[in-house]
Amino acid sequence: MSLEERRIETVFQPPLAADRSSAARKRRALTAGATAIVIAAAATVPLFSSAYLLQLATDIVASIALAYSWNLISGFTGYLSFGQVAFFGIGAYATAALVLRTPIPWYFAVIAAAVLSGAIALALGTVMLRLRGIMFALGMLGLARILGVVAQNLTFLGGAVGLTLPAELTPVPVYLAMIGAALFAFALNAFFAHSRWGLAAMGVRDDEGAAVALGVPTVRVKVASFALSALAPAVVGGLVAWNRSFLDPPSAFDPTLDLQVVVFTLFGGIGTLWGPGLGALVLMLVGEQLWAFLPELQLALYGILVIAVVLAFPGGCVGVLNRFGWLRRRPILAPAVLPRIDRPPSEAREGGAVLEVRDLTVRFGGVVALDRVSLKVERGETVSIIGANGAGKTTLFNAITGFVAPSEGSVLFEGMAVAPIPAFERARRGIGRTFQIPRLMESMTVWENVLLAASNGRRADRAVEQAAWALEMAGLAALWLETAEKLTPGRQRRLELARVLALDPKLVLLDEVMAGMTREEQDEIRAVLRRLKHFGVAAVAGVEHVISAIADLSDRMIVLDQGRKIAEGTPETVLRDPQVIQSYLGELQ
Amino acid sequence: MSAEPLAQEAQHPALAVADVVAGFGPLTILHGVSLDVASGSVTVLLGANGAGKTTLLRTVAGLIAPRAGEIRLFGEAIGGRAAHLVARAGVGHVPSGRELFPRLSVADHLELGARLAQPARRPELRERVLGLFPEIATRLRQAAGTLSGGEQMMVAIARALMTDPRLLLLDEPSAGLAPKVVLSIFRMLPRLLSQGVSVLLAEQSLRSALSVASRAYILRDGRIVLSGTPAALAADAAVVKAYLGA
Amino acid sequence: MLLLQLLVNGILLGGMYLLLAQGLNLVFGVMGVVNLAHGAIVTLAGLFTFWFATTLHENPLIVLPVVLVLVLIVGAFVQRLLLEPLAGAGRKAELLSLMVTFGLSYVLVEGALNLFGSQYVSLPDLQTTWRIGGLAVNEALVASGLLGAALSGALQLWLNRTASGKALLATSQNQIGALSCGIDVRRMRAVAFAIGAALAAAAGVLLILVIPLAAPTADTLTILAFVIVALGGLGDYQGAALAALLLGVVQSFVGYYLGGDAEYVVPYLLLIVFMILRPQGLGKSGRPVWSERR
Repeated sequence: MSLEERRIETVFQPPLAADRSSAARKRRALTAGATAIVIAAAATVPLFSSAYLLQLATDIVASIALAYSWNLISGFTGYLSFGQVAFFGIGAYATAALVLRTPIPWYFAVIAAAVLSGAIALALGTVMLRLRGIMFALGMLGLARILGVVAQNLTFLGGAVGLTLPAELTPVPVYLAMIGAALFAFALNAFFAHSRWGLAAMGVRDDEGAAVALGVPTVRVKVASFALSALAPAVVGGLVAWNRSFLDPPSAFDPTLDLQVVVFTLFGGIGTLWGPGLGALVLMLVGEQLWAFLPELQLALYGILVIAVVLAFPGGCVGVLNRFGWLRRRPILAPAVLPRIDRPPSEAREGGAVLEVRDLTVRFGGVVALDRVSLKVERGETVSIIGANGAGKTTLFNAITGFVAPSEGSVLFEGMAVAPIPAFERARRGIGRTFQIPRLMESMTVWENVLLAASNGRRADRAVEQAAWALEMAGLAALWLETAEKLTPGRQRRLELARVLALDPKLVLLDEVMAGMTREEQDEIRAVLRRLKHFGVAAVAGVEHVISAIADLSDRMIVLDQGRKIAEGTPETVLRDPQVIQSYLGELQ
Repeated sequence: MSAEPLAQEAQHPALAVADVVAGFGPLTILHGVSLDVASGSVTVLLGANGAGKTTLLRTVAGLIAPRAGEIRLFGEAIGGRAAHLVARAGVGHVPSGRELFPRLSVADHLELGARLAQPARRPELRERVLGLFPEIATRLRQAAGTLSGGEQMMVAIARALMTDPRLLLLDEPSAGLAPKVVLSIFRMLPRLLSQGVSVLLAEQSLRSALSVASRAYILRDGRIVLSGTPAALAADAAVVKAYLGA
Repeated sequence: MLLLQLLVNGILLGGMYLLLAQGLNLVFGVMGVVNLAHGAIVTLAGLFTFWFATTLHENPLIVLPVVLVLVLIVGAFVQRLLLEPLAGAGRKAELLSLMVTFGLSYVLVEGALNLFGSQYVSLPDLQTTWRIGGLAVNEALVASGLLGAALSGALQLWLNRTASGKALLATSQNQIGALSCGIDVRRMRAVAFAIGAALAAAAGVLLILVIPLAAPTADTLTILAFVIVALGGLGDYQGAALAALLLGVVQSFVGYYLGGDAEYVVPYLLLIVFMILRPQGLGKSGRPVWSERR
């Protein structure tokens, strides 16, 4: 297989098609009905089963709760955590400690333990989620081990011997509480699957850098998802500790639990609404039969299953069912029909320079990428920035948008220094940018890509309107429910523009937006660019090589060479400047 | 691979592409493309962005497997062969993104390219390459990632030349480069011919290609729509306007 | 004198840690493949060495070349089967290979549990102590530390000075460019993984001479190796050497003054400190662990 043709089947499936047929509606109704029946049946289990069956049911429901929680951080947000057991253990110990040392009854102790677990996750998350995905996964793995060691050494937690809880047999209330935990975790997943919060999480998963440029507060999103994922495991841990009336470090921080959670969710379908529950249910039932025969191979078989699923059908059972039209994800907040928004054109207000860069210097190690560059973009202007590769054009954009911190100098946006403002906030305040290679969210539809940008700080209905308008402006309204990935390069560029428009920007930074475009596509983009000024965009700055495509659109041209500004003026003057000719053009254009 | 074309090589075109269909994933980019590169000549492939020039070059280089059609290098069928084997057969590829090794030195690049050349030829090739690109001779120890765009393109071409290719595929060498640098690269092409290398050059601008090529093909939407000598094509104003707009 | 003793112990420990991490650096820092089964390979090799030495009553170091060759072959096989299908670029490939090696590590650990039981074991053979000018130096520690450093050095030499090594580096930096030089990129990936796994196995053979190992230590060792790689900066070998030394020395001191459990926590604390102060790691050419592209 050639390099190009080898593609990994997408794990996180976008909604496969605009499935609005009546068949689809029937399927959804059936699914909802089946779920209701299953939950009702589960609730009635205690009425007619033996102690053994009740325990089995409790274990199954516990697994469902754990799998759903893991799905929040690892499936929706894309940060694989191989240490969820840490929260299980925290919940177990906190509950045990509260029950033994305070008069609080066990059911409140469990809730308190969950709150504690969430708080710890919140604190940990702010540190650990700064790390790249892999290091986060390892960090969590390490955390679970450390906590085991800590528990072993703290005598008030029983040390290596463990804690013994009062032996009260309350299997039915525990079971019902477990159902409550599972439902809670499921509800969180449903919230993620249908809300803009979940959309933001998926944006973080697909391309965190691009999400920042769209105004998504990625750190907040990650940390919150992480904290939410810590709640149900703590409840489950507390309930298990209470049920067994005994707790020690190995049982509280049992690494097998991590494997189980991963296997169940992966098998069912990671990042989906129904996957974790389906996977946990099926594998627990199958496992129950299997482990009677092969107790020593449990871990190995689960490990093999993980490998097999990843290699053969990474989308899990839900991925397979999706192909037959079942359990498909629906595009988030997509209206039945895309509304046509008529916005009256609004010219930009009067005012000073939109963007001012003063003596900006950026150094990477020993290389000076930008050397005391100063420029201004006035209201109503379109400025082109040209220069050879390595001249510093993209670094300039990165410094303005906050992706790179300047070593010296300052950037002012609408008269305000941007230095203290983080990148996502700059996007929210009106600095929009495109990337040299379009960075689209692969697991989302065109609609959702734009909605993500449109959502910032807006109410749902306003965001929907804004997204619809942006799509219309970019000429993509007809393709709104297509998968972003499958668009032609020209349409992908326009989707990037639509996303920028959805931000309602005052300054638009275009990074080689004409590269790789056919003549027709260039004309389409030029048409969009001309419209920008009529909708509140105060100024446009574009980095370009395809000079012919932008010369007539530009009011001014700035030339960068090796990090320094070497010329500035109207296109005619600049393109004739001897220094520009010598360093960049080589001959008269 | 000797510098003088063998008798049998002179009978076959350096490259013969026949009815090649290729694409990736669900997209088909090339819809039955045929072209020839005569031995010892520069052939130019023109077309706007998105026409399929890079796809064609990558298919010849083995990075994309053709779905139909034949590709022959001096008569030898190479269609469908893996990229590293195509390189070993004598095809040098300078991709549009240059694709250098950022943390290896210029000298390392030359050395890695030379793996494909016969040991006896290596000193001669190196001398030739440094003669063509004196600017990089002073930067042999420098890491490729720290070079300027123009220098990187030179290293990319040098690396491909070190493999002692019979056919050189140049994919839009001018893209993203200062026009001044582009000129110097085009001036180098005729010297390659005198060293026995046939060249297939993909370009957007007819004007740049005029001076160096003996034959030009115009690609549009994955099909060859015109071919002829560059002078004849350029003289036809309608052609120029319709297909290139430049 | 005590300080010097602890320092020497720490340095020798660092030599072993370096070997532990080098295989990972090659595979992860250079090829971008995350191998969560790294520690499991180390543990399995160590336990096998223990079994070999105690059952056959031979010098455990004989095992080293045997294990190296065996793991080279099996490693290449595993790579072709499990990781080659995932050899794409980007976030998804990373996540998927994380999960595959995660699963693999459990398979290996279960294998270790079934074959060797869950007891902590160590080899008493080389526990003799030499006395040099007032310093008590454990023979096993010296052998392991020096061998570890030697193997790491050999790896470095191979990568930077030989044609095949440079071909590997080239493949890790740009696959299309490597292909244009006639390099069989698929084979390179298998080679890199095989060597990485072989180095992990070698680390296991040496570690069992010094510290007790058991099936549960697999994860701990994986984490330790990653911490060293992260501290040193991804793909930077000098950085990894410095990090391994630093870790060895710090652990040696902490272990003496604060006890065994505190020693356990040292790697994580060091990691956190460095993440805050110097994210690009100790080396010159390393990349920080939160850079998006390798």
